Amino acid sequence: MEKIIECKNLTHYYGKRLIYENLSFSVPKGSIMGLLGKNGTGKTTTINILSGYLQPREGECRIFGEDIRQMKPSTRRNIGLLIEGHVQYQFMTIREIEKFYSAFYPGQWRKEAYYELMDKLKVAPGQRISRMSCGQRSQVALGLILAQNPDLLVLDDFSLGLDPGYRRLFVDYLRDYARSENKTVFLTSHIIQDMERLVDDCIIMDYGRILIQQPVRQLLDTLHRYTCGLPESCKELPLDADFYHPSILRNKLETFSFLSPKEVETRLKATQVPYTDLKCETLTLEDAFIGLTGKY
Amino acid sequence: MNAIFYKEWIKTRGYLLLAFVTTLGFAGYAMLRLNRVVGLKGAEHLWEVMLARDTVFVEMLEYIPLLAGVLLALVQFVPEMHRKCLKLTLHLPYPQLRMVNLMLCFGLLSLLLCFVANYILMFSYLQAVLATELYARVLLTALPWYLAGFAAYLLISWVCIEPTWKWRVLNLLISVLLLRIFFLSPAPEAYNAFLPWLALYTLLTASLSWLSIARFKAGIQD
Repeated sequence: MEKIIECKNLTHYYGKRLIYENLSFSVPKGSIMGLLGKNGTGKTTTINILSGYLQPREGECRIFGEDIRQMKPSTRRNIGLLIEGHVQYQFMTIREIEKFYSAFYPGQWRKEAYYELMDKLKVAPGQRISRMSCGQRSQVALGLILAQNPDLLVLDDFSLGLDPGYRRLFVDYLRDYARSENKTVFLTSHIIQDMERLVDDCIIMDYGRILIQQPVRQLLDTLHRYTCGLPESCKELPLDADFYHPSILRNKLETFSFLSPKEVETRLKATQVPYTDLKCETLTLEDAFIGLTGKY
Repeated sequence: MNAIFYKEWIKTRGYLLLAFVTTLGFAGYAMLRLNRVVGLKGAEHLWEVMLARDTVFVEMLEYIPLLAGVLLALVQFVPEMHRKCLKLTLHLPYPQLRMVNLMLCFGLLSLLLCFVANYILMFSYLQAVLATELYARVLLTALPWYLAGFAAYLLISWVCIEPTWKWRVLNLLISVLLLRIFFLSPAPEAYNAFLPWLALYTLLTASLSWLSIARFKAGIQD
């Protein structure tokens, strides 16, 4: 399948602090890829590299097969970029900003998509963006991207500042829009419930590396939470790297693993610690994220 | 190009009106003062003082164009750097170098309009009361100050676009030194022979903004 985004061996540092090393991933055409990670794992750094506003220490990124550092203006026409914090020109009004952007996208600009969203905001077209609430400004930024109608949408923390109702509306709208028009979306969000409704594939980042990259459905089908009772004397269990973040609280073990229940049982028996009531639970994406990255 | 100018106009229209009125006000006030001298003591006295005391009677305008240029750069580029809005501008499907050049071009044209209006006002009055050599002397003496306005605009734009505070301070210091060149001699027409070079020097400062853009694009930050 055609790769819309392709990053190879990205390494980046801020000063002497390693953000990540040899990070490689690709986003196929038509997929909605979510980048998940705790604060400081490099999500915005990745978006900045992808949008050409950060030179990685090593590695290369290609979008539509073009090196992002030498990207042609005609290629940028097909990339909708939502910057962290939903930044837009605050000195413009709703009408002025639409007029300004539309001049750069002749033939593809969908004015009605923008004004449809603006009608829902109940604000006057002459209202200055600086005088709007954070959520309203977010919707202006998102509305402009939808009006641009690009083939690739790069959205950094798209749900920031949106109230729950509008977040749901936007997630559903974006999913239907991307699927029906075969758009490719690469996004980050702090609200993982939104991602579960929206993304096909996910990349979960930990400090300095990618923990996992796979379809969300596959992740949720294969990763499980295991719990069991332990004797009071047991404060630690010698589990290997196939068990993510095992923790013991009030004589109860909680851990996450891709292993089957049968294999988990075998491994637990091998520790020779008596356990009781082993349970295997399916997960939401948020549970899976916490399971893989830990609570702290 | 129209869209780029449209954005710059929205940002600066309030300030440009103020700058236009204020600079014209100062130039007009300087002419009124001259007119008062002419009214009280006659044009001959004015000529005599100009030649004997090496004065041009418009010294009060010396730093006005500089201030107009500095403020225009701030009004135009601070909003671009606020929450890194410049990323939006550079992401537009338009060649980035041309985009920045057009933004600067808008500022230079606005200043030009403002300064030409000042010169038309001064010329209209001065040619009525002074001999050609004398009003040329006034206008030529003021020319480096107006060139300093353009240079100040370009240099402060360079300072504003710079992504890190440490370099902004350094760039500001360099800018002050570069602008000092326009005010080295208070003598009338001291820069006459040097004016073409000063104009070229002013234009060359435009290229500095691209250094800041390159640093911004590389993601350099504090």
